[in-house]
Amino acid sequence: MMKRHRNTAAILSVALQGLGQLYNRQWLKGIVFLCVQALGLYYLVPRLGHAIWGLVTLGETTQKFVKVGKSTELVKGDHSIFLMLDGIIVILVLLVFVLIYALNIYDAYQNGKKRDEGKAVRDFAASWNHVTVNHFPYFMLFFPVLGVLFFTIMPILFSIMLAFTNYSAPNHIPPAKLVDWVGFQTFIDLLQMKSWSNTFFGLLVWTVIWAVLATVTCYFGGILVALLIQSRGIRFKKMWQTIYIIPYAIPQLISLLVMRNLFNAKFGPINQYFAYFGLDGLPWLTDPFWAKVTLILVNMWIGIPVSMLLALGVLTAIPRDLYEAAEVDGATSFQKFRIITMPYLLFATAPILITQFAGNINNFNVIYLMTGGGPAKGDYQFAGSTDLLVTWLFNLTLVNNKYNMSAAIGILIFIMIASISIWSFRRTKSFKEEDMLS
Amino acid sequence: MKKWFVMTMIAALFVVAACSGNNGGNGGNASPTANGGSNTPTENPGNAGDDDAELTPEAGASLVIWDANNQAQFLQEMGAEFEKEYGVPVKFEEVGNTDQVNKLMTDGPAGLAADVLLFPHDHIGNAASAGLLLPNTAFEQAVVSENAEKTVKAVSFDGILYGYPRSVETYAMFYNKDLIAEAPATFDDIFKFAETFNDPANNKFTFAWELQQFFYNFAFLASQGGYMFGDDNTNSEDIGLNNDGAVAGANLMVEIKEKLLPLNTGDIDFDIKKGLFLDGSLALDVNGPWAIADYKSNGINFGVAPLPKIGDNPMTSFSGVQAYYVNANSKYPQAAQLLARFLSTKEAQMKNFEMNSLLPSNEEAANDPAVANDDIVKAFLQQFENSTPMPSIPEMGSVWNPITSAISEIWNEGKDPKTALDNAVEQIKSSIGTN
Repeated sequence: MMKRHRNTAAILSVALQGLGQLYNRQWLKGIVFLCVQALGLYYLVPRLGHAIWGLVTLGETTQKFVKVGKSTELVKGDHSIFLMLDGIIVILVLLVFVLIYALNIYDAYQNGKKRDEGKAVRDFAASWNHVTVNHFPYFMLFFPVLGVLFFTIMPILFSIMLAFTNYSAPNHIPPAKLVDWVGFQTFIDLLQMKSWSNTFFGLLVWTVIWAVLATVTCYFGGILVALLIQSRGIRFKKMWQTIYIIPYAIPQLISLLVMRNLFNAKFGPINQYFAYFGLDGLPWLTDPFWAKVTLILVNMWIGIPVSMLLALGVLTAIPRDLYEAAEVDGATSFQKFRIITMPYLLFATAPILITQFAGNINNFNVIYLMTGGGPAKGDYQFAGSTDLLVTWLFNLTLVNNKYNMSAAIGILIFIMIASISIWSFRRTKSFKEEDMLS
Repeated sequence: MKKWFVMTMIAALFVVAACSGNNGGNGGNASPTANGGSNTPTENPGNAGDDDAELTPEAGASLVIWDANNQAQFLQEMGAEFEKEYGVPVKFEEVGNTDQVNKLMTDGPAGLAADVLLFPHDHIGNAASAGLLLPNTAFEQAVVSENAEKTVKAVSFDGILYGYPRSVETYAMFYNKDLIAEAPATFDDIFKFAETFNDPANNKFTFAWELQQFFYNFAFLASQGGYMFGDDNTNSEDIGLNNDGAVAGANLMVEIKEKLLPLNTGDIDFDIKKGLFLDGSLALDVNGPWAIADYKSNGINFGVAPLPKIGDNPMTSFSGVQAYYVNANSKYPQAAQLLARFLSTKEAQMKNFEMNSLLPSNEEAANDPAVANDDIVKAFLQQFENSTPMPSIPEMGSVWNPITSAISEIWNEGKDPKTALDNAVEQIKSSIGTN
């Protein structure tokens, strides 16, 4: 039978990792696989059961205090969140070893097949060469991927899982209390319970309005400034560029806190100038509507420099002869802008526009430092009129310890940003036709 | 061929999982204790004798204490003395007092937090209900006998004492002696003084506080019968922020806005108010002991008086009790309890008063001539007697937002106080209900 070697090798590898390789007379490889298996069993056997138990039950005993004489001592119990974390880590390690185990069976089968076909199997040095030379990119990516698994995937998994628990103050904070799985209850509360859903949808609408307005104003503001600087007859171009880039160079923390004082309605310089001209001044930060206007204005001041730099770069790349041809045809300045400049700009910067939009949905700094979410709005749960979903999430997590709710909001924000970004990115010209500018 | 391969894989996985699954069963069943989740210390039958009052520090113990930066010198000196007496070294780490409980939530059970902590009492609800603090039964008698009843209640939660009180604080009225020679005793006096002084158009203000902070606004609502929660701020079902007294207080605020402070709540914050007081534009400033150092170093000729009376009623301010707590997960709980006690005795509080002007919570220390003859401290301690400790139950988190926005609606938009406060209480109740 021609399949004799491949089947025997694969079955041997199923029975014991590395055995198939030994059968194929790949001694060193077989021993390495065996050692990896031993390492895996050594790590997993004492831990796996406890990990699965922890993930399923999230702990069964709470801690308690026992009086010993006059003093009191702590008797430790289960900590649901630590159990969950441990569980995730052990399961991820298990997955890595299962993957290696699968590779081992596949490898035994492939080499058995070679023997069946009468070819020689590679020795260890040749295999090593094969991996490091022919599959060099995979080899190099293996370690970063391990890092990603434990430093990116693991926290994401953890926070997703939190959304399905009741981990929140005041009644479910370990170690005094246990946390339990509650399925989709958190999402149902968020979307249906009046006080939560009112806040969520209110903030969602404002977040979308903010993201659109903040992106559009900065983008077109930047283009406008760039066009003005680049227009014919403007002198000291370098100076104008430098001046307009300064807001970008100042740390936001400082400039925003200064802005906050500038816009103070009673004592801030801006309203004092207004008063100087006999005007009443505006409640810049204390009225819900004007606070939003102020935020967008301040965000323009911060965001325009980046768009301006981008636009300046693209503008210099547009071939002059296009404009010259347009002038020969008698095009007005506006027609030149609409037909030549704008398409070029949009083509080159559309992906950046999308990332800016996604970034503005999560624009934490401006909101947090300028208004702190205020002015207060009574029927919102733990949020003010100008809070974005992300600053609300921050408050829920770090101030109010409603971890399950903020995890659920985090998931929803992620779904929103990811789908908008993917959808709009796939529609951009620069995605469809890579070579328009070349 | 492929199918066969996948089948084997799955079979193999089950084998691995089944092998170690048994292990988990044992882990789960090993501790079939009741899942009560109670913080109440249960009497240990084996050790019921209460003659064992002496704590002895664990062998090889070393302690870490968290506190704010300005306590560094005090703690280093006291730490050295503690080491001399008990042979346990103490290390000071700087962690802001209001950040400690949040940090303790994660670091405590992980074994990374300090052994002894210091934070204002309104955080105790979160920390104690999460089981992060060791009940103070060892020095309960001492704490109860040395401190005022409200101080002891402030550092207790659910009837269990946790804290080792160190100092108390509340806000009172700072007055600029160059602008007004004597502190006005009532609001009538303030309105009278304002006739000659108040001039908002030229930035001359008689009386101001941080309008956005309900911490201060509470004093107005509470002075004539309003309150936060019933039963000494422990019953979250009973909210007294919209009763007649609270509405009367809100009406007084409206009057103050019209006559004294015609601006929006968001316009005045800590720094702006400080600036006004420092350049003589503000005569009366409601502020806490934390402002003393700044005003002194700027050479302002100021005094401090208790808050003015409303009619015959003294104003009830919110107060805070700063206390040491022992981390439940401390590796050396006995040594930690000794240290917390060591830092909060009368002698230690006197030393802290001399070094950092902290108002002692210990009643004997507060009556000590060195403390009682200091006019500023005396005013704060008088105000403390008329104060309510801030509620420490976790439901407090649901109060700030609705009540702050009700106050700003009343103040900024002239909304009817009764309607606004009713609405706020409604929202607080619905928010607490969702917890």
